[in-house]
Amino acid sequence: MIKTEELQINIGPQHPSTHGVFRMLVTVDGETIVDLVPVFGYLHRNHEQIAEVNTYLQNMPYTDRLDYFNSMANNQAYAMVVEKLVGIEVPERAEYLRVLMVELTRILNHAGALGFLINDMGAWQTPLAFGMREREKILDLFEMASGARMMCNYFRFGGVVRDLPPAFMPLLKDLLVALPAFFDEFERLLCENEILLQRSEGVGVLPKDLAISYSVTGPVLRASGIPYDIRKAEPYSIYDRFDFDVPVGSVGDVYDRFLVRVEEMRQSLRIIEQVLEQLPDAEGDHINPKAKQNVRPPVGDAYARIESPKGELGFYLVSDGSEKPYRYKVRAPSFINLTPLGDMCRGYKVADVVVILGSIDIVMGEVDR
Amino acid sequence: MPSITATALRERMERDLPGVAVATRPRVVEAESKPKAKGKHAAERPDFLATNDTVVVADRLRDAAIYLRDACGYTYLSDIAVVDYLDDGLFEIVYRFYHLDDGDALVIKVRVPRDAPNVPSLTPIWPGADFHEREAFDLFGIVFEGHPSLIRIYMWDEFEGYPMRRDFPKQGDKYIDE
Amino acid sequence: MTIQFERGKVVVIDRGARKLRVGQGMLKGMAVVWHHWLKSFQKLDNFSKTAGVFTVEYPDERIKLPEAYRNMPILLYDDETGQELCTACFQCQRVCPPQVIHINQARNPETGKAIPAAAEFIIEYDACMSCGFCAEVCPFDSIKMDHEFELSTEDHAELTMNKAQLSRPVSYYERIAPTFWAEVKASAYKKLQNSVKRRVDLIGIAPQMVEKVKAMRAAAAESEATEAAPSSAPTKPSAAETSPATDKAAKLAAIRAANAAKQDAGNGGTSTPEAPAGDDKAAKLAAIRAANAAKKAAESGEGSASVAPAAPEAPAGDDKAARLAAIRAANAAKKAKDEQENS
Repeated sequence: MIKTEELQINIGPQHPSTHGVFRMLVTVDGETIVDLVPVFGYLHRNHEQIAEVNTYLQNMPYTDRLDYFNSMANNQAYAMVVEKLVGIEVPERAEYLRVLMVELTRILNHAGALGFLINDMGAWQTPLAFGMREREKILDLFEMASGARMMCNYFRFGGVVRDLPPAFMPLLKDLLVALPAFFDEFERLLCENEILLQRSEGVGVLPKDLAISYSVTGPVLRASGIPYDIRKAEPYSIYDRFDFDVPVGSVGDVYDRFLVRVEEMRQSLRIIEQVLEQLPDAEGDHINPKAKQNVRPPVGDAYARIESPKGELGFYLVSDGSEKPYRYKVRAPSFINLTPLGDMCRGYKVADVVVILGSIDIVMGEVDR
Repeated sequence: MPSITATALRERMERDLPGVAVATRPRVVEAESKPKAKGKHAAERPDFLATNDTVVVADRLRDAAIYLRDACGYTYLSDIAVVDYLDDGLFEIVYRFYHLDDGDALVIKVRVPRDAPNVPSLTPIWPGADFHEREAFDLFGIVFEGHPSLIRIYMWDEFEGYPMRRDFPKQGDKYIDE
Repeated sequence: MTIQFERGKVVVIDRGARKLRVGQGMLKGMAVVWHHWLKSFQKLDNFSKTAGVFTVEYPDERIKLPEAYRNMPILLYDDETGQELCTACFQCQRVCPPQVIHINQARNPETGKAIPAAAEFIIEYDACMSCGFCAEVCPFDSIKMDHEFELSTEDHAELTMNKAQLSRPVSYYERIAPTFWAEVKASAYKKLQNSVKRRVDLIGIAPQMVEKVKAMRAAAAESEATEAAPSSAPTKPSAAETSPATDKAAKLAAIRAANAAKQDAGNGGTSTPEAPAGDDKAAKLAAIRAANAAKKAAESGEGSASVAPAAPEAPAGDDKAARLAAIRAANAAKKAKDEQENS
């Protein structure tokens, strides 16, 4: 009888597959995971305290750097909470532009996240490169509109910083031709691939009731079977004007999360097409002309949340009447979605840990803030 | 539509769970921003403690949370935020619950004194509160009784001090000379 | 739990449970890859295509950056006059989130009053977030976002930029962002004129242009003096671009020169001061004659024709006025000559 021992090993923080500086303290018995504890804080920049020292407007570029993959979504949540606190209205055209940008971000994010997930599974960068190609096109559009590819800083209180340049629309229309073709191709490439099925079906199952009590949100929650999408549950901005479906999974494993994200990309495309139809009739400017950017909100607190591509992104602001926030808290989806990681991985192999982590889709800028 | 407003919640709580809610000043939303006070009113502290949300006694937090989950159906705990009111000498912990069907949040707040910030932990009931509470402990020093492993989450384990407290120095690095 | 949505439904995705797994999924995937490989011999030059090569062989090929692209801030100055558009209003310093802008306001060296120009302007490029707020809030359109991104260096200190390194001519910005500049050009120049009126000496001139402006002004001043001399009527410099101070000085010089000329009806003369460029020969001649007349008058002790006209360092933009004055002087000189001949 060979006596075996449990080993404690570190996966990360320097690791190509941990989606950033993320460390997992794993207790293994052979190759099987006995326990897993996520350890992070390597990218902690004390974003919340920086925000107490900056004025409300100066915080906007810092929100870009939270979930650096989807900067437009962070901008939207922050702009929404300040507008709620101060009481600024956003003109229609600005709302349409905002929705356009955020839905493009959602496609960006899912293409990238799925690409990286497949990369982690071992399909060495081919599907990732396909996803990146569409990402590049969208990033070019962002560069044209806002001035930067990733740190867009496009939203302001009361609207967006500038209107779309004339070259934007033709390129977007071309892109809308390419995207359905890309989604079909992505599905054909991957969704029946036996290796993918073998590695993701039944792996990392998160049951329905546990999902709610773990406070997970976003595609992870929907893959577990709960159709909770903030755009439908508590519609913000103008999402109540668009027709789109909410995909849910049945089992809650990695394969379900993969399929949910693919389907969400298609729904985002649907929303963008509706935005383009309704945009020419929208009234108003790209920004509320009466909105001052150096805001001094009244004393009080406010919370605003959006359905970011990773889950529920919320900002909680407490104001003391001055031009700087008194307390600024970010409810980061990736941070909370990491809570069930230990439970999800128990009993699986080390190789599965990487796949499960990739399916949660974290970004360390958000987790650590 | 399951949404229960803050005032409705308070009434229900007073009816079903006596002694849990604490009386507070309601916050009146100012219709227009008043001109900045000058002279002897200029140094008036902002009234942070007036709120429309239910403030709950710290010891009865679990009862209130379970009431929200089982009786009102608000099963999704979204956020636990801590605010440091240095001048009033207390920490305010804001719990935010949502109903899975739809609707607005139900918020309950707990106020604990700064020198004895002990709050019962919700983690045994809601595993999702784990990281929130660890973050509150790490950055503010709030001790959650009953938490399975209340250790620091961002700062390294040997770090001393609670960085997000308002009296923590914003400049300088006390470790830099060690 | 069933949740009814408006405008949408809950879609339970189809996992496509398949009993048969013999590798047909992988073959399907390989077909996609094959298709892409075939297409990789063509370029993907249109957003509507999904296959093809779209690599840009940087650094041999470069893509044209969109106008809105923002990397690091730069300061603008006017090409012709060298005047910087910055008035040191401190708005960019206040709004900068990482607080990397540091400005010193220029002061009048004699009176100590503030002048709308920046004495020193430092931006720490290494900490700059490229957020673009400085360019957004600038009321004078003087700080703009550059497109230059190849800034890597081994010397960290090199990345702290001072005013000289930050200044670019307006033509540079017009080239990289024509539509943006066209929108604000008129108002920016109008505000610049207001600032220029309150600037003295060489304060507010971009460091790259200081020498040139000095030379231009010296030339303008001298030609003004010499051109004003032989005119029989006091010349009026064109009022549009001169400041009131120069106006007066020019008038005074003109009157003095006219007196001097009257006294010794411009006969020939020697020497010299350079006439402003672009004038015709007659004017040059008139200038030479005036100079000589003035010299003679000075030698004869009259003293009233001090022709070094108060070289108030006329602010640049005045050489035009000087040229006009010179032309008028030339005409006046010709007239004087005619009168002389007729008399």
